[in-house]
Amino acid sequence: MKEVKTFQQMYRDGHVSRREFLAAMGALGVTAATAGSLLTSASALAGTPTRGGSVIFASNLHGPDDTLDPLLGTSTIDYTRSNASRNGLIQIWDDMSLNAELAEEWSVNSNATEYTFKIRKGVTFHDGSELTAEDVVWSMERHLGEDSPSSIKSFFTNVTEWKAVDKYTVKLSLSSPDADMPYKLTQPQAKIVKANATDWLTAGSGPYLVDSFQAGVKSTHSRNPNYWRDTGQWLDGIEITAITDMNARLNALLAGSVDMITSISPKQIQKIEESGNNVLSVPAGLYGGICCLKNTAPGENDDLVQGLRYIQDRERIVRKFLKGHGTLGNDHPINVSYGADHCHELPQIPYDPEKAKYHLNKSGYSEAELFVAPVTGIIEDVCLLMQANLKKIGFNLKLKKVPSDGYWGAVWMKEPLNVVSWNMRPTANSMMGIQFGPNGNWNDTFWNSDRMGELLKDSLAETDAAKRHEMHCEMQKLVSTQSGIIIPYHTNVLDAHNPKVQGFSNVPLGQFGGNQWMEHIWKNA
Amino acid sequence: MLWRALLSRLGISLVTLWVVSVLIFIGTNLLPGDVAQIILGQMATPESTAALRAKLGLDKPPYLQYVVWLQNVAMGDLGISKAGLGAGLGTPIVEILEPRIFNTLRLTGLVTVIVIPISLFLGLIAAMHPGTRLDRAVTFSTLSLISVPDFLVATMLVLIFAVFLGWFPAIVYLRGDETGWVLIKTLAMPILTLVIVASSQIIRMTRATVLNVMSSPYIEMAILKGVPRKRIILRHALFNAVGPIVNVIALNLAWLVGGVVVVEQIFSYPGLAKLMVEGVLMRDLPLVQACAMIFCVTYIVLIFIADMATILSNPRLRHPK
Repeated sequence: MKEVKTFQQMYRDGHVSRREFLAAMGALGVTAATAGSLLTSASALAGTPTRGGSVIFASNLHGPDDTLDPLLGTSTIDYTRSNASRNGLIQIWDDMSLNAELAEEWSVNSNATEYTFKIRKGVTFHDGSELTAEDVVWSMERHLGEDSPSSIKSFFTNVTEWKAVDKYTVKLSLSSPDADMPYKLTQPQAKIVKANATDWLTAGSGPYLVDSFQAGVKSTHSRNPNYWRDTGQWLDGIEITAITDMNARLNALLAGSVDMITSISPKQIQKIEESGNNVLSVPAGLYGGICCLKNTAPGENDDLVQGLRYIQDRERIVRKFLKGHGTLGNDHPINVSYGADHCHELPQIPYDPEKAKYHLNKSGYSEAELFVAPVTGIIEDVCLLMQANLKKIGFNLKLKKVPSDGYWGAVWMKEPLNVVSWNMRPTANSMMGIQFGPNGNWNDTFWNSDRMGELLKDSLAETDAAKRHEMHCEMQKLVSTQSGIIIPYHTNVLDAHNPKVQGFSNVPLGQFGGNQWMEHIWKNA
Repeated sequence: MLWRALLSRLGISLVTLWVVSVLIFIGTNLLPGDVAQIILGQMATPESTAALRAKLGLDKPPYLQYVVWLQNVAMGDLGISKAGLGAGLGTPIVEILEPRIFNTLRLTGLVTVIVIPISLFLGLIAAMHPGTRLDRAVTFSTLSLISVPDFLVATMLVLIFAVFLGWFPAIVYLRGDETGWVLIKTLAMPILTLVIVASSQIIRMTRATVLNVMSSPYIEMAILKGVPRKRIILRHALFNAVGPIVNVIALNLAWLVGGVVVVEQIFSYPGLAKLMVEGVLMRDLPLVQACAMIFCVTYIVLIFIADMATILSNPRLRHPK
């Protein structure tokens, strides 16, 4: 038990990887399933699943735009409902590996331009009809085309065709090689629904039925008795709601009114633990940072950006603001949670006021204005710390505070210096591509590097692990030295739950283990 | 006479409604970003935003959008919520509003039923015994509670009754089939918060009004005649104070409609005010307008009742020279 705790701490601090942790647990004689949940919670050792009971899950945001159409999902509550009631072709599991879901198996041609999926037989939708290749094609084709309302259509711009070969075989043709495609199919928006669905309540094949749904209020779910796989489905029922006020959300958990709350603040951790509730902290790639636009003053000046990098007191940010529930940022998005693609060879940029002063003097600027909105947890504190440290070396950083609603349209990618937050993407390539692809729609520092474009393309087609790692290292180095992004820290995914509820996984791609907890957790009486 | 007053009132009310709708429209347009940008969020591109705008009818100049909205409202059509409309999920606003209005009315209705007797009783008691310990206790506690903002009252109550004592739930989580005691228990925290905040004002005003009447000459006459104090207050003073008191109650209920914004947010209560906040965050203009109109109508009706009560209870106002 003591060893487990030591390893947990090492994992949390980023000293051992997910894979190494699981291997160590295996060596200690812990079963694979338990080891997965041990990544985040020590109580998993004692847990034996029990059937029955229900949980109330409280997310952080909801409103009249809540949707049951997986394609339109934009928030945790949408993803959660999607995972409760639908399945995808492929899913990501604890060790970030790809696993068969509705696609029983899949194969890819040698240059990664053609995929063939064998669709599982005997899967039924909630209305009783059987899942076939037609449903898969219909669901996936909705992401294609300029007019598609899909929130992830940018992932599928290289798709030329989805085709049903026979009743249980689907072929996907791509215009350019894409070895990451299976990862993209794990997104909550890419769930499979019944072809030509009109009733979203019964359009899925997932572990829990949608009994009722009211946008901006709540949805209720009960166990799907005809589920196609045996994953437990321990809970009788699930209720999904949101409490937008952060303190009200915490109080609801403390008072026992709800069983699970998402998106807690590091400041609340002590209180949650003192109250006897559990905190779930999963190292992840999501981050808050500062964008310096490279196509305009002052961000076009490399020395200014470099100076702002050296002034970030990263250790202190993670220790004080995140209370240790985060990892140091190295000015590129690919931290340790991305596994093999993370470049551990790249040296960690230190807090160095002298160097910062040198670069800022060389830049010729003595003041700048940064637009700040509370778009993510501690970003305002980080900016205040930065302002104070800059003041010590004679640089005047003005902070312009703006509201977070409307921020993405009005400030981000418009003001020369602004703050940003990015969620973790399933692969290093998709994360780098979306934010740093030359002339991309979301190239939020307007940094266009031809070399970066080449590397993004080549690494997708590269199957040799060592060469691929080398390419990713070069990309991370390019971003951290030449782009306009400053990433001082990565935040863990932080949630809290009643200790009676157990069995959470630790996929870092969303709240409570990648938003896919429904069929695995149980509640002790 | 009364009819003319009624008619002119009605005219003023309509003008007020119109002015409010213009103000809301301008206000929402001043906020950064529009509903298309908010729906697409961080993942918006100029092309997709333009396409969605066209789909939602946001590409027309603002004044035209307003005229279209006004025409529809005049025909009794509140429009379709913009959130989700781009994906063909447009829900008629009337459908969204119905359960929310019911929830808010249920909450404010229960609060009203509790607040009025309690505050009248306490206000009268204080006025009957001015300067006594009881009066001072009432004055002190009401003054303190008035000075505390309602979100703080709500948070303190949650900490005491939900977190420490565990008597009531910390949020209002309605299953939809609650009745009787279960319903009261579910709604206890927001009711308690609103009762505390609303009653303090009414208690103070009742006391002040009654005491004010008590210092008028005819009461002095009654005292000199030897009428018992209790009879003076309940028989002579209270009736002359009814006008101002009803006025205060109506104004406070109107305030209550605004006060539920904070309370609904804190207790995650699916009412009209929470819907309006969500509408503003989404820049869902027709939805915000509809909510604002409902709040405005409520306010106008309550103020109208207050004015009528003043006029009816005062013969001098009933027959102006």
